[in-house]
Amino acid sequence: MTCPFWRKRGTNLPEDVQENRKPWRLSKLLGYPSGDGSGREPRISEARSSLGRMIVPVILLLIWQIAAGWLNQPWIFPPVTRVIEQLVHPLREHYASGSLLSNTFISLLRVLLGFLLAAVAGIGLGIAMGSIRIIRNSLEPIVEILRPLCPIAWLPFAIAVFKRGTLPQLFGFGYTRTVFDQVQLGMVFVIFVGGFFPVLTNTLDGVMGVRRNYLLLARALGAKPMQLFLHVYLPASMPMILTGLRQGLGLCWFVIIAAEMLPGAETGIGYLLIFASDNAAMDIVIAAMLIVGGIGAILSLMMRKIMSGLIRWHGKEI
Amino acid sequence: MTLDGTDKHPKEKLIALELRGVCKTFRSDTGDRVKALNDVSLLVHRGEFVTIVGATGCGKTTLLNLIAGLDMADDGYLRLGEDLRFGDNIAHVFQHYTLFPWRTAVSNVSFGLQMRGLPRSERQTRAEELLTRVGLKGFENAYPHELSGGMRQRAAIAQALAIEPKLLLMDEPFGAVDDSTRTELQQMLTDLWQENQTTVIFVTHNVDEAIVLGSRVLVFSERPGKISCEFKICLPRPRNRITKEFTDLFIHVRKSLSGQLD
Repeated sequence: MTCPFWRKRGTNLPEDVQENRKPWRLSKLLGYPSGDGSGREPRISEARSSLGRMIVPVILLLIWQIAAGWLNQPWIFPPVTRVIEQLVHPLREHYASGSLLSNTFISLLRVLLGFLLAAVAGIGLGIAMGSIRIIRNSLEPIVEILRPLCPIAWLPFAIAVFKRGTLPQLFGFGYTRTVFDQVQLGMVFVIFVGGFFPVLTNTLDGVMGVRRNYLLLARALGAKPMQLFLHVYLPASMPMILTGLRQGLGLCWFVIIAAEMLPGAETGIGYLLIFASDNAAMDIVIAAMLIVGGIGAILSLMMRKIMSGLIRWHGKEI
Repeated sequence: MTLDGTDKHPKEKLIALELRGVCKTFRSDTGDRVKALNDVSLLVHRGEFVTIVGATGCGKTTLLNLIAGLDMADDGYLRLGEDLRFGDNIAHVFQHYTLFPWRTAVSNVSFGLQMRGLPRSERQTRAEELLTRVGLKGFENAYPHELSGGMRQRAAIAQALAIEPKLLLMDEPFGAVDDSTRTELQQMLTDLWQENQTTVIFVTHNVDEAIVLGSRVLVFSERPGKISCEFKICLPRPRNRITKEFTDLFIHVRKSLSGQLD
């Protein structure tokens, strides 16, 4: 045999042609540019690939619809049309728990708040741990023990500590009749734990990997310790920090759904999901699942866009 | 031949740097002791352009790091001129990673000024002036990865000059650029030095470069590193390589570098 078995046909073609010949690529399916990020691709293949992107989901939906009709048990396996019907009426109130849209919004609010706290704490502590040996050595054992712990395991503890306290209550407002009454401190705490460790460990790795040369250069140019943090450690570890933020946000979104499905929650998309399931409303369950997945993808995509905009220099250090 | 000219130059203020019997030993990962510097003595006066030439790995960089205060000597005496302080008026140009990749050229050049708390508009103006001076006009907003190797070193020199150094340490700054760019950069550095009369200590492994640039060439011998020979270069600037004097000197330095002299 003249060529190894792993070398596929057409590997001697120019790279961009090869790229378009690949029948599917995860990056293409998700819609962000692959390869060098220049996004330059011939127009014909652009149309073809977007068609290709549509074709598999459409076939799957058709199979689903036919199978559901054949099974005819919508409380277990509802047809696509009923799920879509739920999705196009996101404001419809379901029982006492609110609509798809309002519950999604509540979940997002909880996640954003917990994630912001996690980001600030994780980046700050990560830079401190990465650059100051004493802090790193003294905190590392604690981090290593708490990090592998599933954030959900913190929920009983968080509920015990924060009771049913909400965000407005924390600031002495009592009951405000706004969406903020649904932001329970216990939930926010669990989200915080979920987002904190990915941000912390990635920031730590980033800071520890900062080239000594950049520090020497900055010091030679007169940077004081605080200026080193702000002007060298922070920008130099930005790629890793952003990776941590992306992972952290993804995990936060995971955690909130799980936390809301547990007893104690009364709102949120996770709660609506489990509540609808208890009421055999499988069309709402699947609609909620699709929303959760969609929002997760959007969050990830947003973070990726921010990343590529902020760190164009990444991987091009010379 | 080492230089110990303390009695010859009694005027303190003329001295930029003095080293006497400086030693430095490193411990390698395997635990072996490697003597990087052995009994290095050196006296540099204000406004001198001293080039140190030696084979790669002979301790030149170690010497420069000791002078810059990035490392401590094991033994010996090291003194900087009265008002010279690291982090203030001693600048360092490295061979690699000379610019911060997350900053544009102009922002890189103004880094030192920013650390000193200069207002944005002022440091912007000064950085732009310096970039023009090193021939990078029009590349103010380019990132380091968008510049060629030679352009990066120009920017690095501008970055070092921005803090108005009294002592400029250069560690093989032109080691990674091609020959013709190297010649251009040497010419530019000579011009800048003639304008500012900054004290420069320039480390290189290129004999030709050492002679073209230096007012004094120190030959560094290998393992343990020490100054084995010294040449005073009185050729007029800009220096022409294709003259008998130059080639004679070149052969001389070359010979002493490979230990064939005397």
